[in-house]
Amino acid sequence: MRILRPLLAAAAVLALAACETIPKAPAGPYKAGASQVTLGRDWSDVSVLLAGGLKKVKVLSIDGPILNRLYITDGLAVGESLVKSPSKERPTPKLRAGMNSSERMEFVADSIAAMGYQRVETMKPRPAKFGEQQAVRFDITARTEDGLDVQGTALASEAAGKTAFVLFLAPAEHYFQASLPEVEKVMASARPAG
Amino acid sequence: MFRGRAQAMGAVAATALVAATPALSAPRPPGLKPAVDSVEAGLWDLMDKAEREARQKAELNTDAALNAYVRDVICKVATEYCGDVRLYVMDRPFFNATMAPNGYSEVWSGLLLRCEDESELALVLSHEVTHFSENHSIEAHEADKRRRNATMVVAMGIAVVGTVAAAGSANPQSAQSIMDATSSLIDVVYLASISSYFRFSREHETEADIVGLRRMAAAGYSPQAGGTLWRGLIAETTTSDFKRVREQDTRLGIFDSHPLSPLRAEALDAEAAKLPAPTRVAANRHRAAIRPFLAAWLKDDLRRRDFGQTLHTIDRLSKAKEDLGVLNFYRGEALRQRGKAGDLANAALAYQAATEQADAPPAAWRELGEARRRTGDAAGAKAALATYLSRAPEADDAWMVRETLDALSKGD
Repeated sequence: MRILRPLLAAAAVLALAACETIPKAPAGPYKAGASQVTLGRDWSDVSVLLAGGLKKVKVLSIDGPILNRLYITDGLAVGESLVKSPSKERPTPKLRAGMNSSERMEFVADSIAAMGYQRVETMKPRPAKFGEQQAVRFDITARTEDGLDVQGTALASEAAGKTAFVLFLAPAEHYFQASLPEVEKVMASARPAG
Repeated sequence: MFRGRAQAMGAVAATALVAATPALSAPRPPGLKPAVDSVEAGLWDLMDKAEREARQKAELNTDAALNAYVRDVICKVATEYCGDVRLYVMDRPFFNATMAPNGYSEVWSGLLLRCEDESELALVLSHEVTHFSENHSIEAHEADKRRRNATMVVAMGIAVVGTVAAAGSANPQSAQSIMDATSSLIDVVYLASISSYFRFSREHETEADIVGLRRMAAAGYSPQAGGTLWRGLIAETTTSDFKRVREQDTRLGIFDSHPLSPLRAEALDAEAAKLPAPTRVAANRHRAAIRPFLAAWLKDDLRRRDFGQTLHTIDRLSKAKEDLGVLNFYRGEALRQRGKAGDLANAALAYQAATEQADAPPAAWRELGEARRRTGDAAGAKAALATYLSRAPEADDAWMVRETLDALSKGD
C-alpha cells in the first residue's frame, strides 16, 4: 500500500541507523570543533545517537547514553542550541545575545529538560576556568521520565560571542560518582574555541 | 468507466466500515470488574501495567492536599464511581486528563493551571468520568476490531475483483492500469477505515462533553463553566507563537480525534442553557489548591517555549488579583526569555510589579536588577540587586550578583 511506503522507508532508515558505527574516543586529546579536552580513558563517541546532527555538539559515553553522557561543545553562537529541535512547534533553547552566567545555567537546565529529563534543577554555581577564560561551574539534579534520579555537573564559558559547554549527566546511583574523577580531569583540561 | 466502478466499490467499502460502528451501550454499574476471559479484562491488564508505570514516573505529584482536592471534585461529580477511580496528578505542562477503563485516571498540571475555578475542573473530570461510565474505551476497541475485520474483507474483495479484471484485460497496459487502480482503491479503503476510527472518537468526545456537563450540573456546579473553559482555551490557542497551533481550531481533519474547540464551546453553551442554576460556590478553592505549585508549573510551562501561550495563561490567572508577585515574576521571565524588541523593558516592568507584592520571590529583585542594568539604569540595577542580596543572603548565586554589583560600581 502506498500509504505504508513512507512508514516502511522510515523503518528502514531507523534500522540502518541502528547499525550505525559508534566510534571510539580514545584516551588523549579530543576535539569538538575548536574546543578541546583531554580524555583520561577511552570513551565511545555516541554523537550520532544523541547530538541530532548538530555539528558543534559532541556526546561521549562510557557505559551507554543512559548510564553516562558527556556533552562537549564547540563555541555555540547566538541562535544555536545544545539540543536539536524535534519540530518547529517544539523549539529547544537557543543561546541569546548578552546572556549572563545565570542565564547560561538556565540554558543548560532547559536544554536538559528538552532532552526529556524531568524536574531539572541547577545548583551550587561557582567560579571556574575554561582554559584561561572565566567560566561558571554548577551542579544539576534531574530525574528520567521513569523516575531514576540523575546527577550532573557542567562548565560554561563565553568569549567573543561564542559559548562553550562541558556537561556530564549520569544516574545518581553509582554511575555519577564512578565517573566524576574522570569528568573532573576532562573539565580541568577543557580549552575553548579561540 | 473504471472511475465509476471504483466509486461503486468505494461506496461498498464505506458502507461496510459504517456498519462496523457499534451502538452506544448502557452506563456501567459501579464496582464492575470484567470477567477474566473477556476482551475488557485484557484491556484492564494493559491499563493496570500503565498505572503501575505511572506510579514510578518522575512527573507524579504526590502532594496529599492537591491530590485530595482533585479527588474530592471527581467524587462530587461521580459519587457512584468514587471507589472505582484512582487518580494521579502529573506535573506535565499540557492541558490534558485521561481515564482508562480500569479506573486509572491522570490529571495534568497544565490543565489545573488553566482551570479558573473548581467548576471548570469539575467539567473536565465529568467528561473523563463519562468516558468511563459509557465504556468508551471498550466500545472503541471493539469497534476498531470490527472495523479492521471489515476493512480486510473489503480490501480482499477489491483485490480479487481487480485481479480477475486485470486477467481478462485486452493488453498488458490495461492490466497494469487496473492493478494500479486496485491498489489505489485499497489505499482508499484503509484510509476510510482510519478516518472512521477518528470519527468514532469524535462522537465519543461529543457525548462525553454533553453527558459530562449534565453530570457536573447535577452535582451543583455551574454548567456555564463548559463554554467559559473552552473559550479560554481557544483564546490561548490564538496567542501561540506558532502558526500551526494558532490555526489548529480553524479546520477539522479526518484524522482529528476531538471535535473543533469552537464547536465544543457552542454545544456546551446550548446544553448549559437547559440545565439548572448552580448550587455550589466554586470560587477560590481551586486557586488555594494550586497556589503552592504555581511557580513550579509556570516554570514547566516556560520550558514549552510557547511564550505567547504562557503569557496568556498568566494574564488569565492574574484576573483574580491573587498571587501577583509570582505571576508578575513569571510574566517577566517569559518576556526576558522571549527576547523580542521591547520585551526587556516590559520584563523590567513586570519584575517591578512583582516586587511590589508580598508574595514576590527574591529572584524578582535579581532579575529586576539585571533588566535595569541592561537597559542602562545602573542606579536602579544596584538598588534592586542589593535588595536581592538582603532578601536572600545565603543564595548560592550571591557571588555572581556581588560581581555584577562590583562591576556596576566601577562603571563597567
